[in-house]
Amino acid sequence: MPGNSGAATPPAPGRRSFLRGLAGGVAGGVAAGAATGYGLHSPGTDPAAQANAALAEGRLPAVPFHGAVQAGILPDPPLATAVVSLDTTADGLGGLRDLFQTITDRARFLTAGGTPPAVGIGGPALDSGVLGPAVVPDGLVVTFGIGASLFDGRYGLALARPAGLTAMRPFPNDDLDPAQCDGDLILQLSAGHPDTVVHALRDIAMNTRGGMQVNWRIDGFSSPARPAGTVPRNLMGFMDGISNPPATESDDLLWARAPSWAAGGSYLVVRLIRMLVEFWDRVDVTEQEQMFGRRRSSGYLLDNDTSLDATPDFAADPTGEVIPLNSHIRMANPRTPQTASSRILRRAWNYDRGTDQVGDLDMGLIFTCYQQDIRRQFEAVQTRLVDEPLVDYISPFGGGYFLALPGVRDSSDWYGRALLG
Amino acid sequence: MAVLAGCGSGGTTGDVISMNSSSCGGTWQDSAPGWHTFELYNANTVGGEVDLTDPATGGVYAEVTGFGPGTTRPVSLDVGSGTYAFRCLFEEQDPMTGPAVTVPGHAAGEAAIAPVTYNDLVGPDKLYQAYVERGLTSLAGQTVALDGDVRRGDLIAARRDWLTAHLTYETLGAAYDAFGDFDDEIDGRADALGVSNPKWTGFYRVEYGLWHGQGARELRPYTEGLASAVAALLKSWPQTEIPLIDIGLRTHEILENALEFQLTGHDDYGSGTTLKTVLANIAGTRELLSLLRPLLASRYPALPSVYSSLGQLQSLVQASQDTAVPALPQRTSQAIDAACGQVLQELAPIASITEPRNT
Repeated sequence: MPGNSGAATPPAPGRRSFLRGLAGGVAGGVAAGAATGYGLHSPGTDPAAQANAALAEGRLPAVPFHGAVQAGILPDPPLATAVVSLDTTADGLGGLRDLFQTITDRARFLTAGGTPPAVGIGGPALDSGVLGPAVVPDGLVVTFGIGASLFDGRYGLALARPAGLTAMRPFPNDDLDPAQCDGDLILQLSAGHPDTVVHALRDIAMNTRGGMQVNWRIDGFSSPARPAGTVPRNLMGFMDGISNPPATESDDLLWARAPSWAAGGSYLVVRLIRMLVEFWDRVDVTEQEQMFGRRRSSGYLLDNDTSLDATPDFAADPTGEVIPLNSHIRMANPRTPQTASSRILRRAWNYDRGTDQVGDLDMGLIFTCYQQDIRRQFEAVQTRLVDEPLVDYISPFGGGYFLALPGVRDSSDWYGRALLG
Repeated sequence: MAVLAGCGSGGTTGDVISMNSSSCGGTWQDSAPGWHTFELYNANTVGGEVDLTDPATGGVYAEVTGFGPGTTRPVSLDVGSGTYAFRCLFEEQDPMTGPAVTVPGHAAGEAAIAPVTYNDLVGPDKLYQAYVERGLTSLAGQTVALDGDVRRGDLIAARRDWLTAHLTYETLGAAYDAFGDFDDEIDGRADALGVSNPKWTGFYRVEYGLWHGQGARELRPYTEGLASAVAALLKSWPQTEIPLIDIGLRTHEILENALEFQLTGHDDYGSGTTLKTVLANIAGTRELLSLLRPLLASRYPALPSVYSSLGQLQSLVQASQDTAVPALPQRTSQAIDAACGQVLQELAPIASITEPRNT
């Protein structure tokens, strides 16, 4: 992050048209002074002191916002998340630019933290106060992406749509609800605590009222690794995302190669997957383990109990005596040279949202994965998984395909500038 | 005495500035513009209000209201170069202004806003009172016409006249509180009562019947009751006062209700006309804005944007006004809801700015 002065800088109200009704209108002087005033005189600009204060109250320190790639993709995710699909209502390409710039400004402020500006007698507070008088970063990461429908006729972007970005196709075991699929935009907010996530969502919504509307959203959580040092479990009791590809392969597996403006971006697939946990809990653990191909208690492979990182030896087990041929891990990733390029970076959260009409718990997985090419990777994996035994216990009902945009490089950059600028 | 340091250490841990019965802030200094938190201590034995003002213009930078004795309250402000003075308004005491303090330099800070007084609002309030009286006068005739339709058994005419009358009522949104029990009688929702409860009366009850196949005989008591409730309200109106604070508050509250009850379709009891209701609500909001405009013009620089956002909402709703909300294409309802959210966000500061203040 260039310069510490940004770390605690309150946002610049009135700079963008979506902020018109906020402080920008009331206190004309603020807008003019914002570029310099706050930065020079803001309290607590020492990042180390801020981080210490944050840790003392159980909050995570700030994750730097600026970078060639978005900060929420590579690192292990914080525990609380909200995945929000939005449709744009901004007027024309200029309105869309304003919207993306406003989202950038808010994300920059929220991830750094700081004190929201006061408004005196000029209006209601500019901040919801959910995090107290000062906004703590709490490890907030904002991941922002775009969907295929943004490239319809509304903004004159039809010809710019990346060939690899389409609406999500249904797979044979899916039961998709169109009201919970796709969207012009995807916004994922993840942080150390749910209140930080909710605060960020309300802040961004408050500042973009005219520009976008929520299409669907789902909140999720990642569990602490149990035992410590392992991998978080999903609500079926199994560790989820053990065998992600190493960062050294990111250039081949993760970062978008086309189109050129997408460099530094990554294609994102979101799948909302209900887990029929009552049914699952009535299944013998051995049978559950056969379906996954791993031990429930330890996460170890059925054929290797030395380490979570061990590689299964499918060649030594050609008939699936130890790890069944139709187990999830074997169908998803057969570990052959031909399938190596279809590997994905999994980032999964659990969701829990009430009960269904027969009183069963409505919970499951917010499966997200990043990749260079959705056809070559997610769709190939998902096609191999058609009719796997696990499908009786899960029901994919929503999600979408998106392009997580390149990172915001510095204080003058903004989301999507390479496309819209 | 307190000295507020400039850059860096000013921050969230400012020094305490004390107020009492004979001194409003004593002597304090501020060596440089920037972001400051003033810690105000009420050393008086009574409560009151303290404003940070521009002594030259009387404009208010920040205020502390309901300031109890023995309590400390923080006030955060982006302090620009200029002159500042605290003004104390303690209970049962004459107003007191502390020493003027000059912050040097040429930095822009938060602007002071001239307080709106009770006197300032008397004129707009009277004009609104007259606007409502004109509306109620029209409404009285319209509800009599509706009742006549039903008396004659002409339910087609009744549906038409119901809409005319209901939309008139929906332009009077800043007065509903002042209407008291009449509002429930005239425009109550079935929510708590249920649609078959005879205690449910008014426009929505009549709408429910007219669009659910109920006959003239069944509806007549309700149209008759509606007309007489409106007549009674009109008669009582000259003795009714609209609180001064309401004029500013309702500039966003009318459309808050439109978003909650009309744009969701909640208040559609069969006619599918909630978007027309929103247009009536917009007209009611415009009336308030025009009454407050002289006060807002110098205090709310974003006012032109309010009008353009309101115009945007109005044209979107107008284009779909003959459609029931559930039948709107998703993109259309998203555009309308977003436009409503935007104008609400921009209307909200008006309530704060026009809150009547003691000076």
